[in-house]
Amino acid sequence: MTATREAIVLPAAFLTVTLLGGLRLAPAIRLVPPPLVSLVLALMLMVCLVRAGVFVPQATVSAERSNLENLSGLTVLLTLFAASAQIFTLITPEQGLLHAVFAICFFIQLTTTLAGVKGRRDMLRSLAVLLGSAFVVRFVVLEGLYAPDGNLAKRVFTAIVEGASLGSVQYEPTGAGTGYVAFVTLALFFVGLILLPRGGPRGYLRPHTVQDLKVSTQS
Amino acid sequence: MATLTVESRGAIVRVAGFAVTLGYGALIVWLYSIQPQTVAEVTGSLSSTVGAYHVDAQATSDALAFFRRDAFPEARMAFERADPAHRDARTQFYIAYTYYRQGWGRLYSDDALFQKGIEAVDRAIALAPDHRLLVDDPDLGMHSAEELKAELERGVTREASDFNPLKVFRARK
Repeated sequence: MTATREAIVLPAAFLTVTLLGGLRLAPAIRLVPPPLVSLVLALMLMVCLVRAGVFVPQATVSAERSNLENLSGLTVLLTLFAASAQIFTLITPEQGLLHAVFAICFFIQLTTTLAGVKGRRDMLRSLAVLLGSAFVVRFVVLEGLYAPDGNLAKRVFTAIVEGASLGSVQYEPTGAGTGYVAFVTLALFFVGLILLPRGGPRGYLRPHTVQDLKVSTQS
Repeated sequence: MATLTVESRGAIVRVAGFAVTLGYGALIVWLYSIQPQTVAEVTGSLSSTVGAYHVDAQATSDALAFFRRDAFPEARMAFERADPAHRDARTQFYIAYTYYRQGWGRLYSDDALFQKGIEAVDRAIALAPDHRLLVDDPDLGMHSAEELKAELERGVTREASDFNPLKVFRARK
């Protein structure tokens, strides 16, 4: 991994995801901080990424790297965690029964992934399906149902659902603009995941290390 | 001219990247803490951080003229123009006062307006130095943010004294 990618591209991408992940454009502009459940899910996601080899900690922080390289690696690690937390904040409804249902689904799915998915490509595919499905449910289905300008049939349906659940199924629409921002945020998160170092003890080979390698090969 | 080795170039990139990341991260934490509602609030907060934020004097003068004529929605619009970033304690105090005077009634007060008034006076208290705000205006019945906040909170609280018929004789402050 090049120094530019590790020190600039990845932290910038993950911090942008962190910023945009909490952005809600309606009814008023808000920045939603991650709830506790998002931090737990982010931690689980990090473990899944490490186990599947999507993120190799030794490639970013290890005794073989210099202090400056380790600092860059640590920055990637921390920004990846922050971005993961905000991704779950983004695709989980903020209150009511739906919040709990989404959180439980993510928890079960990540536990299953942790147990079953091996390999970088499979993990990225599994994650794309999980986060993509949640995005569609929240920003296409729920936003469509609860849109303030929805037709009478939609309003009757949501009123029946809220009545049948004794008011526990509530959803506050976040506006169409938030959906577009969420789409870009998810795409950027996946770009960041794909750009993570693939493995090996060192993310960055220094020239003298290459020379050492030549010397040891000749001898 | 000495050329940089790959290693030193990498070190420069890493130091620069760390500085940029630190700055960007601090900006994100700051944005989440101030919760800006508009771009004007972001720029206003940044300007006030460096001491470069100023309230529009002409708009404040217009707003006070509206306020004294009991034209409260107009006064609020002018106050918003004067302090678009919501960074001036005195302006926020006046905005809260417009909500109080507009929402005040002999029989009952308007809870929605009083609630907005509480939000505005909370902003004023948070912005005032040492959270102490005194407005020396003879046209006002309450001069401190504490008095105004307490009066607004009394307006939205339901209590036995609300049913006292003598309340109709009280005066708007």
